[in-house]
Amino acid sequence: MSIAHRPSDEMLATFAAGQLDEGLALVVAAHVEADRESRKRVQELQAVQGALLDAVEPVAMDMGPPYSRLVGPDAAEFGQASPAAEPGLPGVLRPYGLGPWRPIGIRIALRRVEVPGAEARVFMLRAGPGIALPHHKHSGLEWTTILSGAYEHEYGRYAAGDFDEADSDHDHTPRVDPVEGCTCIVAMTGNVLFQGWLGRLLQPLVRL
Amino acid sequence: MVAALALTVDGMRKAGAAQGGRFVVLFDPNTLIAAIACSGDRAAFVALFDHFAPRVKGLLMRGGTPAELAEEVAQETLLTVWRKAALFDPAKASASTWIATIARNQRIDIARRETRSRLSQVYEILDEEAPEQPDTTLAGAEREARVRAAMTQLSADQYRVVELAVLEGFSHQDVAQRLAIPLGTVKSRLRLALSHLRGKLEDLR
Repeated sequence: MSIAHRPSDEMLATFAAGQLDEGLALVVAAHVEADRESRKRVQELQAVQGALLDAVEPVAMDMGPPYSRLVGPDAAEFGQASPAAEPGLPGVLRPYGLGPWRPIGIRIALRRVEVPGAEARVFMLRAGPGIALPHHKHSGLEWTTILSGAYEHEYGRYAAGDFDEADSDHDHTPRVDPVEGCTCIVAMTGNVLFQGWLGRLLQPLVRL
Repeated sequence: MVAALALTVDGMRKAGAAQGGRFVVLFDPNTLIAAIACSGDRAAFVALFDHFAPRVKGLLMRGGTPAELAEEVAQETLLTVWRKAALFDPAKASASTWIATIARNQRIDIARRETRSRLSQVYEILDEEAPEQPDTTLAGAEREARVRAAMTQLSADQYRVVELAVLEGFSHQDVAQRLAIPLGTVKSRLRLALSHLRGKLEDLR
């Protein structure tokens, strides 16, 4: 897998700090899982956190060690395996509920990812070879990680593992790879305005 | 290795006394965590708690977390260290880094308790399961050394900005307020400081 598009260092720092909205964080995590370089950067940022922990001025605790809670290793800690990942899906999706694939047009289907408490709406989109994804504009963020296949727009070609941060100033029309098609995971905030007949079909499904 | 794992803090103290030597405590978190994993060593836990809990609390408060919440996160973090001691792998990261990531996850769990956030599980999946590079058994130790070396080369200003970025994320408004600099310069300064750190890390590679 050769990755051409990555999140910025600032975005990865926010991700590593645990400060991203959960829906946006999940799409970044799907990219990090697929990309060795971004994973290395996140590990470096975590090592920075460790170095800061070593260097920080300690602040006295009000309470001592929690003796009463020091029971043997929690059996649940190890026994409670998360459900197996669905084949072909990122492991980071395991903790989340997934809706069924629902066709929303000709050769295009949407599958909701349930992320309770997130500001962003998260869904997977699967599009057949060669089709143009709905032409749209939006007021918020639209972050995408490609899971398989590829699409292309004016900023380049985005293939499996690539991360795409749509610029809210532009409206674009990604064109799906003519052979492989494309499946991606998307997090969106704000309002999205789809245009054209396909967009009108998509609108009520994405708006929640 | 096996002998070292069998030692407890009390055991070390007795061994030291038996040899008539003065008992000198060298703080070695890896051995303490191993002692918890092997024998549920409470003395080892107390030593870890005394060292790390006030630091976790201090780190969070430096990022602007209120004292009471920082105390709760520090308590839960060390309790998680007790529970998950067996999962610590010193080849992947230092004890400080491991504990800092536990603190981050605990903070998420506590802050987003009411929405039952699953985000900390996402980080755990990434940390535990993402395939490592095949040629890098020493990657963790090397990374730690490079990061620490790079950090010493940052100016005080850059250090503070990196600190806020990696602890608090990219919250411009907060950083601007805390450092009393215009919002407009925060973004470029954060980007500069992070790329500076990145550059140092590349140089050291």
